[in-house]
Amino acid sequence: MSKPAATPPTAWLTVGPFFPRSLIEPTCNDLTRTGRKKARGTPILLAGRVLDRGEQPVRNAVLEIWQPDAQGLFAHPADPRSADADPNFLGWGRSATGPDGWYRFRTVMPGPRSDNAAGTRLPHINMMLLASGIMRRLTTTLFFTDDPDTEDPVLSSVPRVELRRRLLARRAPELDDNGAQAYRFDVITQGDGETPFFLD
Amino acid sequence: MTEHFDKTYDPYDDHTQPPHRVLGYERTFKRTPDAPLIVRAPTLTERTGPTGLARRLPADRADLTRRTPDGPRALGPRIAVHGRIIDEDGTPVPGALVEIWHANTAGKYIHEDDAFDAPLDPHFPGSGRVVTNADGGFLLTTIKPGPYRAAPGSWRAPHIHFSIVGPSFMDRMVTQMHFPGEMLNEYDLILNAVQDPEARSRLIAEALPPDEETGDALTYHHTIVLRGHV
Repeated sequence: MSKPAATPPTAWLTVGPFFPRSLIEPTCNDLTRTGRKKARGTPILLAGRVLDRGEQPVRNAVLEIWQPDAQGLFAHPADPRSADADPNFLGWGRSATGPDGWYRFRTVMPGPRSDNAAGTRLPHINMMLLASGIMRRLTTTLFFTDDPDTEDPVLSSVPRVELRRRLLARRAPELDDNGAQAYRFDVITQGDGETPFFLD
Repeated sequence: MTEHFDKTYDPYDDHTQPPHRVLGYERTFKRTPDAPLIVRAPTLTERTGPTGLARRLPADRADLTRRTPDGPRALGPRIAVHGRIIDEDGTPVPGALVEIWHANTAGKYIHEDDAFDAPLDPHFPGSGRVVTNADGGFLLTTIKPGPYRAAPGSWRAPHIHFSIVGPSFMDRMVTQMHFPGEMLNEYDLILNAVQDPEARSRLIAEALPPDEETGDALTYHHTIVLRGHV
């Protein structure tokens, strides 16, 4: 049992419809360029649409991603292998959707990880959605393969196979860009095909 | 330092946090999932976050009263927000990225989607970004935002949006700071979505009475508590 907290966390409140462009620098959605040198690994493009009920595009939504580097490592003190993490990969990015609901990130394919205390992790990217009408953030994790031989703890926590499939980013050759293979991942906040979100 | 970076994260308490769907705030009813959120134990990906962000993004934008250091001053009463970021134990969170944005003194945002009938202020930059010091503290100087009409019959009380990127994916925080003594605080849909009066009052900054020490900006103190404890 943990000891009772002295003060509960501050209440979340919506980001609203007016998140300023001035807080999204041009490099924010390109994770391959956040260091002095190019990040190690295979560059990929991650793109998709944010849709709400009735598949209406959500404009001015803010998406942030957080992921391990090409070897599955984090440059963070909580990772016992952080010393080996790519110094030129920050792992964090931010993008805003346009009027048509599209977002876009350039990053590297995250590596799998076999020695994590939580179990073997498949390559994955954490995603967080902020928008007008969302009081608290919505979080999800996207994957690139649903390997039946790997029990990824996050994928396993998703109750149905049909829902797990919604967490797969699909190869989208029509979006390939400048040598980077593109993957498409749509975020549907409500209704048919609703994206599974986590209680984080 | 390790204890600052590997904390325990309890689920948020729905009493001190707002509901996902808020009566009168129509968009919350079509943008929030119907299915229950899936419970997962935090893995390393959730317990980590970008520690080097303040070095990669410009984090010295502490003065929102001008667009450039020598430029003309933005309209509106100048205020100094002395802020502090702590965790649930009261431990300071150093190195956190603090971003703010708000409407100008007339209640208008720098954003193409803001349809409120009020003028833009060419000298107001609209946003700022700083990083917390060793004590979790930060100082932002800006002008007091004005109220605005958000929908027919619904006005927003003056508020400053805050976004904090702390040391993990779990303690990421987006909230709003309100001002004490505002008539609209009682009618603001967003602020009053938080049911617990104590949690609601912690969304309102503390105003310090002016004295000989007060410079040319009125002083406010505001503390934001990030999730997580040792």
